[in-house]
Amino acid sequence: MISFENVTKIYQNGTLALTNINLKINKGDFAFIIGQSGSGKSTMIKLILREEEATEGIISVNGFNVTTLGRKEIPYYRRGVGVVFQDFRLLPGKTVYENVAFAMQIVEALPKEIRRRVPMVLGLVGLSNKAKVYPNQLSGGEQQRVALARALVNNPALLVADEPTGNLDPETSWDIMKLLAEVNQMGTTVVVATHEKNIVDTMKKRVIALSKGELIRDQEKGQYEDEDTNHQIYN
Amino acid sequence: MKIRTTKYIIKEGIINSYRNKLMSLASIIIVTASLLVFGIFLIISVNFQHKINDMMVNQLQIEVYCDASLDETQVKDIEAQIKMNGFVSNVRRVTKEEALQRCKELLEEDGSILEGYDGSFLPESFIVKINDSNNIKKVVEECKGIKGVESVGFLEDNVNQLSSISYWAKIISILLLIILLSVSVFIISNTIKLTVFARRREIGIMKYIGATDWFIRLPFIVEGIIIGIVGAIISFIVTYYCYSTIESQLSKGVLGESLDFVSINSIVLYIIGSYSIIGTVVGGIGSGISIRKYLRV
Repeated sequence: MISFENVTKIYQNGTLALTNINLKINKGDFAFIIGQSGSGKSTMIKLILREEEATEGIISVNGFNVTTLGRKEIPYYRRGVGVVFQDFRLLPGKTVYENVAFAMQIVEALPKEIRRRVPMVLGLVGLSNKAKVYPNQLSGGEQQRVALARALVNNPALLVADEPTGNLDPETSWDIMKLLAEVNQMGTTVVVATHEKNIVDTMKKRVIALSKGELIRDQEKGQYEDEDTNHQIYN
Repeated sequence: MKIRTTKYIIKEGIINSYRNKLMSLASIIIVTASLLVFGIFLIISVNFQHKINDMMVNQLQIEVYCDASLDETQVKDIEAQIKMNGFVSNVRRVTKEEALQRCKELLEEDGSILEGYDGSFLPESFIVKINDSNNIKKVVEECKGIKGVESVGFLEDNVNQLSSISYWAKIISILLLIILLSVSVFIISNTIKLTVFARRREIGIMKYIGATDWFIRLPFIVEGIIIGIVGAIISFIVTYYCYSTIESQLSKGVLGESLDFVSINSIVLYIIGSYSIIGTVVGGIGSGISIRKYLRV
């Protein structure tokens, strides 16, 4: 599903964000990308979303060679990747229903398909009764659930979440993570960039740890902290 | 892009204009103000040209004098030949009585020496109005060539001077119109840029979800066109009402005859046309161009 081969990213100002990353995430996996601020987590997400281009190496996602994508191909690639952000990024002028339906309008779905699928996905995230409400009338948790519904409505093979619980309280954070786990159970590959130790330790999913742009650990059913790698980070 | 998607996008543009009403309103006000300034100058320019043309028309005439020995048939024949000239707009025969009266006026206090004369000694003549200042000399030469024409008189210096004034007036008007048009376009497109800037985050979000550039751009273009059209309509209404009022008020007064405004109905199409084109084209294209920067996500 996702493959990084010898990927390096150096920003224009000379910052070395990622160094020689090699990893594979398979279809149906649930993986956490963890690390301190500046470790390269966000850069990895940006590379997957093709918001940034790799300086070296090859990135493949869902059958697309992301590194060689032309500008006009990027929107079509992104339609196959559901994305959830820390700051929700809902369209403020649209209702909950319209925000989710927008993702289907983009792919020119049939109106009857939109009318069928949007309520279904809103039901999945527990927001059926909030369809006509605007984002500014929702709590943080509800907004994130709308963002999740929008990310799922086109049935993507991959869901990427960049600090999805960063702006939420612990209880709401768990609600969101449970939803992500359910989505993964249904077959969607899920990649979550986070620094929430409790969540990572409790869920016991694959952990990909980054430090100063290097991949220092890749562990199935991993924990947030590991004695060996902590030694590497702090020395 | 499917037809239903195009319909959706246009509907989105219309809805967004309403949703972002404050920004839309501010943009409409600025578009209206810019178009009004342009329109005022356009009207002044048209009226000025009209005045110059009026002055030209009065000078664009020659007097064709016939041989004094010609009979009525021969004089009518000369009149017919003059009328056949394509650059002649009007031919008026000057009667001998009228010619005598003019002579008396010319002689002023000495006009009394003509008392008792009936004007029969004076030659027949025609006042010939020319419709094109560039061909006045050609008409003069052609009239001189007509058998029975004694001489042709016209105020060459006056005509040349007025032609020159008219030419330079046109050039300056066009230059000033171009400058004002550029200023209007600049102001309108910067206003549109601000509305796009205010919604740059929204544009970024749509890119992340997988919207193509045109899917994002088209509603903004529709909004820009709506702002342009509404601005043009308001500008037109204000211009029409103000000009009609000024025209009717000043025409009644002492200056009425000398001011001689161009009637609003004869320039209404120019005004509608220029406002609509500037408003919609700049509004639409301005939006399309302004958004480009924020599509690079």
